[in-house]
Amino acid sequence: MTGFLRRWAPWLALLVVVVVALSLGAGRKNSHPTVTQRVNHVASQVRCPTCRELSAAESDAKAAAAIRIEIRRRVVLGQSDGEIRAFLASRYGRDILLKPPASGVAGLVWVLPVVALICGAVFLGVMFRRWKDRPALHPTDADRALVDQALRG
Amino acid sequence: MNAVIGQAGVLLAFLSALLGIATLATGLVKGRPHLVRSGRGYTFLILAGALLAVGAMQHALITHDFSLRFVANNNSRSTPLLYTVAGMWSALEGSILLWGIILAGYLTAIAIRFRQRVDDPLFGWAMVTGFVVALFFFGLMLGPANPFRTQSVPLGFDGPGPNPLLQNHPLMAFHPPMLYLGYVGFTVPFAFAVGSLITGRLGEGWLVETRRWTLFAWGFLTVGIILGAWWSYEVLGWGGFWAWDPVENASFLPWLTGTAFIHSVMVQERRGMLRVWNLSLLIATFSLTILGTFLTRSGVLDSVHAFSQSSIGPLVLAFFGLVVLVGVGLIVWRGDRLRSPGAIDSPVSREGAFLANNLLFGAFAFVVLLGTVFPLITEAVNGQRISVGRPYFDRMTTPVALALLFLMAVAPALPWRKASTELLRHRLQWPAWGGGLALVACVALGLRGLAPLAAFGLGGFAAGAALRQLVLSARRQGVRGLLGRANGGMIVHLGVVVIAVAFAASASYAHRAEFRLNPGQSAHLAGHTVTYLGTEDVRYPNRLSTKARVRIDDGRVYTPSLSQYPFATQAIGTPSVRTGGFNDVYLTLVTSPEKRGGSAVIGVVIKPLVLWLWIGGGIMAIGTILSVLPGRRRRPTDAASAPVPSARADEVEAPDSIPEIATVPGA
Repeated sequence: MTGFLRRWAPWLALLVVVVVALSLGAGRKNSHPTVTQRVNHVASQVRCPTCRELSAAESDAKAAAAIRIEIRRRVVLGQSDGEIRAFLASRYGRDILLKPPASGVAGLVWVLPVVALICGAVFLGVMFRRWKDRPALHPTDADRALVDQALRG
Repeated sequence: MNAVIGQAGVLLAFLSALLGIATLATGLVKGRPHLVRSGRGYTFLILAGALLAVGAMQHALITHDFSLRFVANNNSRSTPLLYTVAGMWSALEGSILLWGIILAGYLTAIAIRFRQRVDDPLFGWAMVTGFVVALFFFGLMLGPANPFRTQSVPLGFDGPGPNPLLQNHPLMAFHPPMLYLGYVGFTVPFAFAVGSLITGRLGEGWLVETRRWTLFAWGFLTVGIILGAWWSYEVLGWGGFWAWDPVENASFLPWLTGTAFIHSVMVQERRGMLRVWNLSLLIATFSLTILGTFLTRSGVLDSVHAFSQSSIGPLVLAFFGLVVLVGVGLIVWRGDRLRSPGAIDSPVSREGAFLANNLLFGAFAFVVLLGTVFPLITEAVNGQRISVGRPYFDRMTTPVALALLFLMAVAPALPWRKASTELLRHRLQWPAWGGGLALVACVALGLRGLAPLAAFGLGGFAAGAALRQLVLSARRQGVRGLLGRANGGMIVHLGVVVIAVAFAASASYAHRAEFRLNPGQSAHLAGHTVTYLGTEDVRYPNRLSTKARVRIDDGRVYTPSLSQYPFATQAIGTPSVRTGGFNDVYLTLVTSPEKRGGSAVIGVVIKPLVLWLWIGGGIMAIGTILSVLPGRRRRPTDAASAPVPSARADEVEAPDSIPEIATVPGA
């Protein structure tokens, strides 16, 4: 037991250090965001209507600036992020939101990769089991002679 | 004149490819060695045709021959020379031409490299495959993507020049050719894979012979993607470098499957296993480059890169279908010969780690592909229009990327066959502490958030593991210990860690704001002060720029600008960036003052560690070059698939225990 502890002491110490560091550091970055931070946060989840893939937070197009102003107005009015997003979706259409919906057919975009990953992992597990059950191949003397001959030649 | 020469070049390349296919296929099927031998010669004709076409195009661009529609649309008398030359790849037809000449170059290179193997049917079929790809691309240039269409123009006509975004940063001259060298380079291993499937010689020979070609293609693709991110950062003015834009995704997809391949191919070289899987990965990689061309050049998906749209979509999609069909068909046909007798003893082994790597890269590629095409699917299924953007990709890829970092930390220490707990405890201890200390340091510095902290900790762990391998190897062999695939690969891993850390930091700790400022007024953001001094108008040959003069932290003055190009409706913003080792201050001019001395809107983005993305890319490039150089010479009698005897356990310790085959028959 003491031998085990001695061998694993550095690892146990590391575990403690990591757990303590993460519990200190993983808390919410910022529990009281400023208005600008909230505007940036909501705008980064909304597509700029006139440009292509950029969010309204990043784009310098006029339409994106208009959306930022609208978001700021509503943040100051005290609306929640969800309410602002719902308003923007009703005004510009569902596809203004960069995050796809989690329900309906569109929800598959969230589910399929997880299913694929699980299937892949299960397949690998089955393969490992099958490999393990397979009888090991042991070289016969004839095999060894063949190899020796090849190496000498 | 240029049009005639160019057309002739394209036609020459097309016909040579056609004749090459006919000659080689006849010779191979009917067993006529003289036909097989002469078939190789057509590569030089394809190259000559491609050179002629590119020469004609460049001559037309440089002399502003506007009778060519492509030149008239993408050039102007006032375009600077660099962007005139780079104008060739600023629109669809010219990029297909670039594709064509790079493919011709690769085909010529393999024809020369394997000149003593012309009688080998495997090589013959590989050439046929390469010719078919060339036939398709030069065929496109004869049909819907003809770069040499002519038109009559009035005297004194001047074109609009390239898209304004494509003529304000020199990276434009390097990013597309690098990317295409990567894309097209995967044709080589793909061609040899098809050759080995057709001839039924499915041993490891062709893998070894094309290994360096694959690494080269992978390295070019890596550099091309990173240069593209850099270009996006320096030019587009949105303060970021990766938008999960369909075109970025299209270049990233073959990189993901290609990366999976260069790892799992080591299992095949060593153990003779995973043949079907590796062939599938190669075919996936090559077909994804074609799919990427379809997605980005057909206009089905909106993208900042959709600089031109045309009718080549259905043709490219058909070719993609053909590649997938032929690939899958050949694998099914050869299925019985592809089965291997080997077994992987334990999931906790080098082989097991490579399989986990493949699972994760596969999942990563699946997420990126699904997210890219999903809006098309929902719209086709039930007419629902949705967007799949950054929040989706960030949420889905972060866990996969973290798992990959963890794997990168553990895998280099794993021996082949089977690892014992004792061995791992011993080997991983210092790297793990490296990660732990990195984590503690980050928390002590006040950094918060689970995902970035996990990235920094795992990054430290992975960097420690890579450094440990490099130190062990260098201690045994000196400078030579840095050469070869395994050691060069560890340097690539270091580059990946640098990029991962920089990516996590810049995504998690950025600040952004816009300020309306009068001349002389200052604004503060995240500890930095920006002072707006005023604007000045500067007239260039190809544009009129309004430059804002902004002082950062009482230091140098930076000039973000808005430029008006003659034929563009909207002003094009150009950011100005103070680059630093710790963070970048990124300035844009959002709105220029309405009257002289009025107020302007200045956008400010503070992003940490962005410089390290490009440095990490450089490290990856250096690592790739080192991994292509021959490392420790292997005795030619060592079998590549021989298991490592347990008596030589200390030998396994060395990172170069992966066999290096420095001599290739015919070299």
